[in-house]
Amino acid sequence: MKHNQNIERDRELLLGLTRNDDRALATIYTENYPSILRMVLQYNGSEDDAKDLFQEAMIVLYEKAQKGEFDLYSKLKTYLYAVCRHMWLKRLQTGSWQLALPDELEEVLPADDTNAIAEHEEKDQQFRIMEKAMGSMGEPCKTILEDYYVRKLSMQDIAEKFGYTNSENAKNQKYKCLMRLKKLFFEQYKS
Amino acid sequence: MNEFSLIRDIERYLEGEMNEQEKTAFEALRQSDPAVNEQVLAHQQLIKQLEYFGRRSALQEKMDKIHAGLANKHVSIAPSSTPEPKKVFSISRRLLINMAAAAGIALLTSVSTIALMQRASRQKTTAEYEDVRRVLNHIQRSQNALINDINSSKKAPANPGTYGGTGFAVSNNGYVVTNYHVIAGADSIYIQNTKGEAFKAASVFEDITADLAILKITDSTFKGQPLPYSLKPQRAMRGEQVFTLGYPRDEIVYGEGYISAQTGFNGDSAAYQVSIPVNPGNSGAPLMDNKGDVVGIVTGKQTTADGIAFAVKSAHLKRLLEQMPKDKLPKKEWNHKNNKLEGLSRVEQVKKLEEFVYMVKVYN
Repeated sequence: MKHNQNIERDRELLLGLTRNDDRALATIYTENYPSILRMVLQYNGSEDDAKDLFQEAMIVLYEKAQKGEFDLYSKLKTYLYAVCRHMWLKRLQTGSWQLALPDELEEVLPADDTNAIAEHEEKDQQFRIMEKAMGSMGEPCKTILEDYYVRKLSMQDIAEKFGYTNSENAKNQKYKCLMRLKKLFFEQYKS
Repeated sequence: MNEFSLIRDIERYLEGEMNEQEKTAFEALRQSDPAVNEQVLAHQQLIKQLEYFGRRSALQEKMDKIHAGLANKHVSIAPSSTPEPKKVFSISRRLLINMAAAAGIALLTSVSTIALMQRASRQKTTAEYEDVRRVLNHIQRSQNALINDINSSKKAPANPGTYGGTGFAVSNNGYVVTNYHVIAGADSIYIQNTKGEAFKAASVFEDITADLAILKITDSTFKGQPLPYSLKPQRAMRGEQVFTLGYPRDEIVYGEGYISAQTGFNGDSAAYQVSIPVNPGNSGAPLMDNKGDVVGIVTGKQTTADGIAFAVKSAHLKRLLEQMPKDKLPKKEWNHKNNKLEGLSRVEQVKKLEEFVYMVKVYN
């Protein structure tokens, strides 16, 4: 009974995540972060490591939720913990100090989720490239693109914000910006 | 075709801004020119990346905000993150035993100190809180005897009782609610109305934690009537005007005040803090809002400060009534429709209400 309730609650939270409900995000975050922090500290990581690791796991979860996959094989808490553990394990292995891994860090993650993590790592790489490309964009391009793709403003709103006479003009500006971004992005991406 | 117009066309194509004609023309161009097609695919990838970037940046931003909030109240469990090189002590066995003994004594001392302190503080808090049931004293007894002489037809026992409190009707068939502490340990309980008529009653349901008790009037002579008020299921707001009717004397007394806090004594979330004059005998008195709905039941006051009284929230009474065994349950729908007091002047409200507020006398 209790178990079912937990699953029901987890499902609600995931649905909230798909809807971009900030409260669901905050709930998942605050409820699960402490245990990850504890784990990382236990294995000689810092608080910053824990934050990075946990946020990455949250991104994996978020992408999963966005794809409409809610079939968690376990409780949300266990899932996040397992994902974090997996990623931490990888970091330890690739780190400069080859630590002998404690036995408790043995793998428990199903193949599906290891795939999700591998996929995430690839995306992560592309994300870094995009981040860099966006970082080297000048204004107003950077803000226009961020307004459109990150903050999801309409072209009409953007036109007003930047003082363009109509949204057509703003769009033309956006095309120019995309042109530049495309160059920057693919330069990095291909190399 | 220059680069700009190509990008524009691709964007318009992907965003679905082209009309049918343009679309077919563009698709034909895509088919015939592999370079254009490649550009479209690259553009799609770029947009996908950009959207992922957007989602993730937005998420990251939100998470950082949550994290910052967390860090504020978060007590770091982190041991210092850069562990200093550990110094190694070698401790002789004897020293170890001595240290263990010392630590043991220190532990014992601190634990017992804590226990003592806690006990002391508990004693202190109970001292600050006072139930407002009334110990009926001699003067009041003699007064009561006089009243009893006058109302000789329905007479209460000659002995006026050991303790007194207030109660009010929660049904039209003789169920009355009061505080548990009023009737705790009672041998017999009598209910007396404003006309001086007394009825024998028995406690049928008690909730010690919420300090509530439901009494049933067992006298066959008692005739109930429909209640003019209802129970307010919502919380009363801070600052809401409230009034009460109770028996700190042998006569019913009106008092008014306001809800001052949403929690009661020592942060008790089941109660309100109320600023209202409360005296011994007010225990169990109804706390009404302006519409005449019951918002709480007066239970006690803080002795160390003036003007601080406490009342159990009506939601708890409602829950208690719902929990009662079915055969004992007074049948009653607590909706506001039944309220006949709304809109009346306070004088009229009180006049109607006082028939339903009783003095509870307890003998033990």
